[in-house]
Amino acid sequence: MDFSVLNEALASKSFNKIADICDNLMLQVAAEGVPFRDEWPFAIHLLGHIYIDDINSARFLWKSIPPAIKESQPEVVAAWKIGQKLWTRDYAGVYEAIRGFDWTQQTQVLVAAFSELYTKRMFELLQSAYSTISIQDAAQFLGMSEEDASNYVLGQGWTVNPTSRMITVTKQAIVKEQKLDPGKLQRLTEYVFHLEH
Amino acid sequence: MNSVEGLVTQIQGLSSTASDVLMLQNFEACTAGPITKEQASSYLLIIARFLSSCVSEQIRLASHKFIFVCKRFKNQLVLLGEPLPGVALMLTAIRKFRSSTEHLTALHPEFLLLCLLAKSYKTGHSILEEDIFEVDQPNDLFLYCYYGGMICIGQKHFQKALELLHNVVTAPMFAVNAIAVEAYKKYILVSLILHGQFSTSLPKYSSSAAQRNLRSLCQDNNLGLVKQVVSSLYKQNIKRLTQTYLTLSLQDIANTVQLSSVREAEMHVLQMIQDGEIYAAINQKDGMVRFLEDPEQYKTIEMIERIDSSIQRLMIPSKKITLMDELMSCDPLYLSKGSRERQKFDFDDYDSVPQRFNV
Repeated sequence: MDFSVLNEALASKSFNKIADICDNLMLQVAAEGVPFRDEWPFAIHLLGHIYIDDINSARFLWKSIPPAIKESQPEVVAAWKIGQKLWTRDYAGVYEAIRGFDWTQQTQVLVAAFSELYTKRMFELLQSAYSTISIQDAAQFLGMSEEDASNYVLGQGWTVNPTSRMITVTKQAIVKEQKLDPGKLQRLTEYVFHLEH
Repeated sequence: MNSVEGLVTQIQGLSSTASDVLMLQNFEACTAGPITKEQASSYLLIIARFLSSCVSEQIRLASHKFIFVCKRFKNQLVLLGEPLPGVALMLTAIRKFRSSTEHLTALHPEFLLLCLLAKSYKTGHSILEEDIFEVDQPNDLFLYCYYGGMICIGQKHFQKALELLHNVVTAPMFAVNAIAVEAYKKYILVSLILHGQFSTSLPKYSSSAAQRNLRSLCQDNNLGLVKQVVSSLYKQNIKRLTQTYLTLSLQDIANTVQLSSVREAEMHVLQMIQDGEIYAAINQKDGMVRFLEDPEQYKTIEMIERIDSSIQRLMIPSKKITLMDELMSCDPLYLSKGSRERQKFDFDDYDSVPQRFNV
């Protein structure tokens, strides 16, 4: 089995491509009729799906893994545990699953990258969903101690009230550059004209 | 002579320029019996080699044989309990056999079935994204929509699943069959998950057989979907609250939606915000939720692009339908039936009493 494309992606940190690479490679290898499952990097494959937030595909992949491999490869089970926590929306549990295993070198890189991405995603979720939140909860969502969480959100421009242990969320206005293409407007005008006549 | 070994010898004996039609005849003849696990890899190798080297024009000449061989291939894999090798191979077969991406072949449902069995939902879904305008056999479309619906359910694309299952349930049929019953059960459940309701009457254009019988035939066997319906009920109830209230306490939400705690209510609301199903801001300090308007202003470049591309995509089927309409209005069968019906109502030209003319 030729894993060069996968290894390249891991080396160049193109983590969002790993799921597709693994999927395509698996279909190809299976079509050759060779038994491949014993040597297949299931942990990396699962984490590839988890990295791009495709928990559905991770779930289906987990279901298709033979029980013998689940019993003999604890890293695969550990990788799925992260996916499971994401599936059940156990926001704090995801961090426990990440930290609760001694990952091999190759997998560690991917797990660390996902952990960083997940923290960022959680922060954005808090920003969009909360106007005020307790330091305790924020710490759980961000996978940090209460002190670290306070400092982190302060650094992002939020305010912390140490007496009430409450954080006030400040939403940043995202200004996206709007470059107008006159051709598009022209087309839309034509549509409206056509529809009205 | 053992069938697969015989096949291997014969294939090796043929020259490399042997026509694909000849190859197909050999396949048909030699793969009559079941394949054992030991023979499986040589069998797969032969099929794989054939599919990668066969020429589209040639296999289309022997289309029935090609479909037969592919279907048998799928059956062998299912018997072996190894559907995964078939996924890539069947996809290759489809790509070579079909005359365009809009052409639905008998191989499409076989491919989707293999994807379902191998749990390759994402790969299956990729073929569902192609619009279909040309169908070989109505039965192919029937199964394609049913399996396609199941793949979409797996990917949680409930809207598309509903559309596909709708096609199965409203397809013309003289008698209700097992596939239609299964499709109807899933149709109802998906409708509940998506809209929180379903209509007990089928659209007017469904066959009379379906309308009479489907409702009474449904008993349960779709546990996974049913569980999803139950969890979606909470969501539907919360969504209804956003339409009535500007702000609401978490306690009130918990009471109204019948959740066991304030914390549970908060988590439900948070998950719906995360999935983009509602717009709200949770205020933990006061224990309140403020429901917000959809922040989309519809005046960004991205929105213009989306509207533009949607309109362009719609123009394609619209043109096709106009063409089909023109073709049908020239069809002699349609014209003769149409004129018979029309005669009944020509009372404007003659009496006030409609006359019936026998054609």
